[in-house]
Amino acid sequence: MSATSASQPAVGAANESALRVRIRRMRELAANVLANPTTLAGLVVIVGMVGMALLAPWIVEPNSPNASQMPRDWGAIAVPPGSPGHLLGTTNTGGDVLYGVIWGARTSLRLSLIVVTITVAVGVAVGSLAGFRGGRVDEVLMRIVDVFLSIPELIFALAIAAVLGPSFRNIILALAIVFWVKYARIMRAQVMHVKQNEYVDAARVIGDSNWNIYRRDVLPNSITPVVVQATLDMGNIVLVGATLSFIGLAEAGLAEWGVLVSEGQSGISGGRWWASTFPGLMVFLWALAFNLLGDGIRDVLDPKTETR
Amino acid sequence: MLPFLIIGVSIIVFGLTRIGGSPVAIYLSHEMSSEEVAEIEARYHLDEPVPVQYAYWARGLLQGDLGWSGVAAAPVTEVFPDKLAATMELAVASAIVAVSLGIGLGTYAGARRNKLPDHLTRIVSISGAAMPLFWFAIVMLIVFWVYLGWFPIGRSTPEVFASISHPTGLYTVDALVSGSFTAFRDAIWHLVLPALTLGYGATAIIARMMRSSLVEELQEEYVDAARAKGLAERLVLRRHARRNALMPTVTVIGLSFGFLLQGTIVAEIIFRWPGLGRWMADSVLRGDRATIMAYVLFTSVLFLIVNLVVDVVYAYLDRRVVLGS
Repeated sequence: MSATSASQPAVGAANESALRVRIRRMRELAANVLANPTTLAGLVVIVGMVGMALLAPWIVEPNSPNASQMPRDWGAIAVPPGSPGHLLGTTNTGGDVLYGVIWGARTSLRLSLIVVTITVAVGVAVGSLAGFRGGRVDEVLMRIVDVFLSIPELIFALAIAAVLGPSFRNIILALAIVFWVKYARIMRAQVMHVKQNEYVDAARVIGDSNWNIYRRDVLPNSITPVVVQATLDMGNIVLVGATLSFIGLAEAGLAEWGVLVSEGQSGISGGRWWASTFPGLMVFLWALAFNLLGDGIRDVLDPKTETR
Repeated sequence: MLPFLIIGVSIIVFGLTRIGGSPVAIYLSHEMSSEEVAEIEARYHLDEPVPVQYAYWARGLLQGDLGWSGVAAAPVTEVFPDKLAATMELAVASAIVAVSLGIGLGTYAGARRNKLPDHLTRIVSISGAAMPLFWFAIVMLIVFWVYLGWFPIGRSTPEVFASISHPTGLYTVDALVSGSFTAFRDAIWHLVLPALTLGYGATAIIARMMRSSLVEELQEEYVDAARAKGLAERLVLRRHARRNALMPTVTVIGLSFGFLLQGTIVAEIIFRWPGLGRWMADSVLRGDRATIMAYVLFTSVLFLIVNLVVDVVYAYLDRRVVLGS
């Protein structure tokens, strides 16, 4: 639990100092997190990848009319890395691997941001409701969560995406349906714990409404493990999403890492290793970087769980 | 709890069969009149309310009716056992790799905290969680199949496979039963690369847990006591610390089994392994609903049962746990 004192019931001018305390704590937290070299390395990779995703149109000229489709150079099929105009080589169908690597970062960023936003919102809402209300509501919601957790993640997402039909949008939808449960469970446990604190009783005594107690006291003090999980999921979602598109659930020719690995697969027996290797390496680095950062944040917030 | 979860999963699976188009679409054709369509829908009880439809569907399930697989061009239940045997062989081999390697590495690293082996193990375990299996498998193939040529691809050499009978469908076991060393070597030779590749992620999970719980155990007082009475460090580790450190590790073995189970899909695609996972992948691409649903149900139930077994084993190892509370 990090910021217990930051969310004492604050009135009028005290609000400002509470804000200041929170900012100071965030600074301290950031400094502690970045003191660990592996966490810092993770963050550096993330900044690089996200930068690449945001600046993609300025690094490689976007394919028109649709920039998220791979451009095809029919004059340079399966050329090795280092060929003129194709720094990382091309696929069997003349797709430029460098284009896929860079625009794939953009696809992955979009995927992970959308899915994490939806799943955190839904999970936090469901978990808070269950934890705050307790009783019947809690019982019903948590049984639903249990059922969702009984189906292995990838298999569940695969089945949903398959039934909805192959497209990248349906991959996003499938991942959103699968990934919210973890947040619900984490949030419920947190809320149940936090609502027993004395400052919550104090807020009740002074007549605060349920909503205000939740918003001012319970939510800010419950949210940190959700932040850790969200950081880890920024990586995991790209990992699972790329796996689904590798299996063939995204549109063919999409500039996405999993699609590209799948496209390059047919060439490996002929020694054309590059089309699969580079985009797959990107998935690995992406997931690794967010894992390192997530672990780093967790270590600082909760020094008891030394998981390494 | 288990029956409740199984019913819950079956409701989700049933729900999946009802979204995105009519479940009888494969029986329909454009020439049919609307009366004929209605007749077919009535035959499969689709004109009934949804809960009644679920009841019919669940009854079929319990009677072993899993529908018709378009991909295999046969009833799902007919194709299932052979594919299951192939997948189980791969999954069990990977589990053996993951458990032995994971516990071994974790112990080795935990006993040498902050020394080089510990750092190397840490790299293995951190990268394991982030490793895209579909990429790792391809890299392994490029190195060991394309360039070095050490391992083959697929499940068997066809001539050798045909030379023995297959009563169990588990190639290694069949080879042993028929006493053919050639076939056994062929089976193992084909199994090594996919099992190592698939087992990597689970190895990482287990090694990480084993390492951290061993480090914790080594700080306990009973370890000091054992050392004080002059027990060799090797024996302190083997008789005392490792045994206790295994307990928390058992709990993650269930988790890593889920990891392995999901991984078989990708591993079977890449290593051309004719199991359930590849059948599932083909079915996903060709919209073979019956197979998809059977697969989801089966793997979830298996996953639940494995986790139940893990709980029981844990309770057995740790007498402080009272089951059913």
